[in-house]
This record gives sequence, C-alpha cells and structure tokens, in this order.
Amino acid sequence: MAEIILKNITKEYENGFQAVKNINLEIKDNEFVILVGPSGCGKSTTLRMIAGLEDISEGDLYLDGNRINDVPPQNRDIAMVFQNYALYPHMTVYQNIAYSLKIKKVPKDEIDRRVKEVAASLGLTELLDRRPGQLSGGQKQRVAMGRAIIRHPKAFLMDEPLSNLDAKLRGQMRVEIADLYQRLNTTFIYVTHDQTEAMTLGTKIVVMKDGEIQQTDSPTNLFNYPVNKFVAGFIGTPAMNFFDAECTEEDGMVVLRTADGMIPLPEEKAAKLKEGGWLGKTVSAGIRPEHVRLCTEAEAAFKGTVSVFELLGSNAIIYVQCGDQRIIMNTDETDRQEHGSEVCLKPLAEKLHIFDPETERTITN
Amino acid sequence: MNTRYSDKRSLPVRVLSLLGKILILGTASIFTAFPFIWMIISSLKTKAEILNTDIFLPTSPQWSNITGIIFNSPIPKYIFNSAWVSLVIVALQIVTGAMLAYALVFLKFRTNKLLFTIVMGTYMLPVAATYIPSYIILADWHMLDSFRGLIISSTVSIFGIFLLRQGFMQIPKGLVEAARMDGASHWRALWEIVCPMTKSSFITFGLMNFISTYNNYMWPSLITKTSDYFLVSQGLRAFFIRDGAYGTEWALVMAASAVVVVPLLVLFAFTQKWFINGIGGETGIKG
Repeated sequence: MAEIILKNITKEYENGFQAVKNINLEIKDNEFVILVGPSGCGKSTTLRMIAGLEDISEGDLYLDGNRINDVPPQNRDIAMVFQNYALYPHMTVYQNIAYSLKIKKVPKDEIDRRVKEVAASLGLTELLDRRPGQLSGGQKQRVAMGRAIIRHPKAFLMDEPLSNLDAKLRGQMRVEIADLYQRLNTTFIYVTHDQTEAMTLGTKIVVMKDGEIQQTDSPTNLFNYPVNKFVAGFIGTPAMNFFDAECTEEDGMVVLRTADGMIPLPEEKAAKLKEGGWLGKTVSAGIRPEHVRLCTEAEAAFKGTVSVFELLGSNAIIYVQCGDQRIIMNTDETDRQEHGSEVCLKPLAEKLHIFDPETERTITN
Repeated sequence: MNTRYSDKRSLPVRVLSLLGKILILGTASIFTAFPFIWMIISSLKTKAEILNTDIFLPTSPQWSNITGIIFNSPIPKYIFNSAWVSLVIVALQIVTGAMLAYALVFLKFRTNKLLFTIVMGTYMLPVAATYIPSYIILADWHMLDSFRGLIISSTVSIFGIFLLRQGFMQIPKGLVEAARMDGASHWRALWEIVCPMTKSSFITFGLMNFISTYNNYMWPSLITKTSDYFLVSQGLRAFFIRDGAYGTEWALVMAASAVVVVPLLVLFAFTQKWFINGIGGETGIKG
C-alpha cells in the first residue's frame, strides 16, 4: 500500500523535447489509477519516472511522504509489469517468479512456498518448469504478473500489459487484473491507450495529451463531464460526435441552430450559455453516439443518408452522412437502416456537451 | 509443397562446380595446414633427416624428442606460465570489458557516445605506440620483469569491450529494467541476466584473448628478462638460441613447438562450436 505524489514533474530530454510538462498528481492508497492518452502523450514516461527507470528533470516525487527522486528502482519497493513481459528467457517460470525473493535473500523454503502460492493463484502450477519461450502470450503475461505479485510491493506499475494479446485474451486478462486488484488491495498505476481498459479497470483516470494532464477523475465523471473537447473525444467508443452550432434565443428559449434544424437546450445549459455571453455566437457541441436518436423531420437537428450500418449483436452503429458532417449513432439492433436511406437525427439535449471553439474547454459542465 | 531449394543446373555443370570448389578449398587448406603438419613430422625426425629435403616422413619416429621436451626441458614451465597468466588476464578482461560494455549499452549518461568513440579510438592506435608509455608506467610501479606487470598491463581489452557491447545490444533493455525493478543492482543484472544471455560472446571473447595472450611474444619479451617469467613464445625463442646453439637442434625446436600448441588444440576442440558461432556474429539470442 502506498501513497504516491507527483509534484510539478517535468521530463526533458537532452535534445530539449519535453515528454512530460509540469504534472501534478496525487495517488492515494489502494487506488487503481489509469494513465491514458494517445501515443506520445507522456504516460509511459510518467510511469517510468515513478518506477525510477527515467530521471526526473524537474519536480518532486513522493512515496509515502518520502522524496524518492534519487532512489534507484531496486530500492523503491515498486513492482512493474512490462508491455513485452520482459521475462528472463534463460530462467524457468519458477526462477522468473522467485528472482526478486532470491535477491532479497528470502529463505529457500519460504521462496518455494510463495512461488507455489502465486503460481496456484494465477493458474501457473503446471508451467513452473517451462521457459518463457515455451509459453503463450497469456501465460507469459501471467508469469509477469506473478513476478510482480510475489514481492508484496507497495505499488504495482503496469505499462500497457495487455497490448500484445489478442482481443479475446485481452478481455479475459482485463477481468483477471480487476480481480487481482480486489484481492491484493494495493495501489495500481496502469498505462494504456485503450480507453475501454481505462474505463473498466480504473478507480481514477488521468487523461494525458502532449505531456500534460487534461483531466483526472473517476471513469463516470470523465465520461459524463469531460473538461475539454480532447477528453470528450478520447473517452467513449465510438467517439463523441462534434459539430458547430450557433447559440441563439428563439421564443424565449435558448437553442443551438445547426445546418438542418435546431436543438432546444434545457434550462441549466441555457443559463450557462447566457451567463457566458454566448448568445449569437458559434459554439462547438458534442454528443455521444448513444445519445443520438432517430426522429421526425420536424424535430431533426441533422438530416442525412446512412452510409454504414454495423450490427454488433445487441446494438448497432449507424454512420450517417449529413452534408460535410458525419454523425455516428449507437442504437439497438431493432433500428435497422439500409445503406443510402434518408434519416433524421436529434441529440438528447440534456446530454449535449458544449465547448468554447477557441479554447476547447467546456462551457456547460 | 516441397519448398527446398533445388539446383536446376545440369549434372556436368554441377560436378564441375563441385570439383572447382574442392580444388580451391583443398589447395587453401593444404597451404594453411602444411606448416603445421611439417612441424609435427619434423618433431619426430632426427637432426639429419630434418636437413635432408628428400625425406618427408621420418624413417623411425623419434618419440624421445617429444618426451625429452616434456620431461627434460623448461617448456612445460613456460606452458604453465602462459596458461595461468592468460587465464588471469582473460578473467580480468572479461570483468572490465563486461562492465564497460554494460555501461555503454544500458546506462544513460551524457557522454555515453563520446566514451564509446574514445574507447574505439584507442583501438585504432598501433599497439607498438603504447609500448613505451606502458613500459614507463610499469617501471614506475616497479612491475617490470614480473607476472604482476604482465597481468596489470593487459587488464583491459578494447576488442573485448567492442565484442561484448555488440552482444549486449541484442538484449532488450526491458530485461535489465525488469531486473532492476525486481531489486537487482547493476552488478547483479550484468552477471545474472545479461551474461547468461550473451554466453557465446563471452566464450568467444575469452577464447580469442586467451589464445592471443598465450601466444603473445613482443610485449612479454620487452618487460620480462628472467626466464622464470617467460611465456611460451619467449620460452621457445630462448630454447632455440640456448647455449649459443642457433639452429642446431631443429628436431627439439620442432618438438617444443608442437608440444606448446597442444593445449590450444585441446581447448579449441572442446569449444569450437562457440568459437565459430561468436565470430560469425551468432549470439544465441533471438530478437
């Protein structure tokens, strides 16, 4: 169990490139924190700085109140699971799992007991005598986790641990990691670019972009109250639809006027737009595909033709081309639409996200 | 489907090509091996037979030449000197070389590339250019004419650093990082993770440097003058010119040369797999 605090942390490389820019983050005991963002956003660098594998250019890193900037990785008591597993190929599974205990000079019978215990909990008992080269991807991943678990470290760091697995195994391992977190009851920091992993595993998600933290929040809040357009677009599959609309007042009601119609806004959002002086101006609006509905022509905010209909089982994704704009709708399979058919769409006004087109920050949340 | 390579050339062309290869390789092999075979045969001849060019094989093998060298000459002592001095030198070169190669490959520091350039730069220096400064340093340390001097002056091998660095570069950095996260120091990571994975580089390096140190003549002959400290090449020369008998005991000189080579042949016989692998660039590690 550990509390980790990052204070004004910056990572600057020799060529002047800043991979991480002045980030602040507080990770409490037993939290499952996910660092998520697109490639090159600095999430792995941040994790590696916590691990001690990268030097910190500026700022302070605290573990349980102690500044650990200059503490080498082997003295931090933090375990890490790597993207490519990093199993020692010349050692058996048993030796791989036992290695950290051997370094700590734990008595042999104690090592044996703990290795067997961990192996049993991860379903590796039959594989203890094998070498990593004889294991499948999922088995290697389990060994990598076993190697981390056996130490009872203060925190677990995981750097995209599922990205080398196929989709089915990834789903299975995700559940196992979640289960592991419940059992171990300790701090997890997990890096991924997969927002499904982020949403399903994390108790707290940190969305990063270009070395900066965009938003730190719970999965639900991140989904429902994104602070800017980037977070809104990054979290959620399929991604949020964005469109420009003019904010006007008609018949005493604040509405967003789109190319094909208008969207009357609920009171709370209307008040915020009024207060912000947005009447008569163009705003950037966003609506999640699951909050778009088919409607009559009179209610329509968008009119267009169905370009793709994807049936995913119980639900379906409909791609509608509305002029230059493509609107994606996530609906149930009964809303079957033929390719090329004309449809009218409206967003659920209470679920609309409205952003400042200049700063891209939210106006209504 | 049979995907094996099949030679579509006609039979006579194939036979001719094979004969050509045998001829070229056979000739090259004979040229390479002949001096060695000649040495072995001469070591079993009498003095008169050696100087008679009409006789290739000895009429009756003079085994006493060999036993005389083994039991009644200082040659075994020189072999022992060479063997243990080479062993110590190679052990030290492996430790120093592995440490520097590890630092160059796995540690991040500003002058990493500069350091490697400087190290490799020293490899370009003619060895003879280092003799005088090395001699002066050893003289200042009172280590001339001693095993200590021989060993200390050969503690680092630039070739070894280069060879090990190339081997280490095949290892994913994540493995060393994983070891560090597991609690291993750099020292442990080097010997418990990196070394077992680059075994063939280590063995190649050890063998090549053992052989070159074992056979080394110039440098040991510059810094040692007491026969107690002679290595084999020096010892052979001393044996050749002893008692002012320049070139008079050819049969014994040949027998001594043959005996001196035996330890290297035995070593090579046991390790040739690694030796050839290492030179061919095969490190035994799959990417």
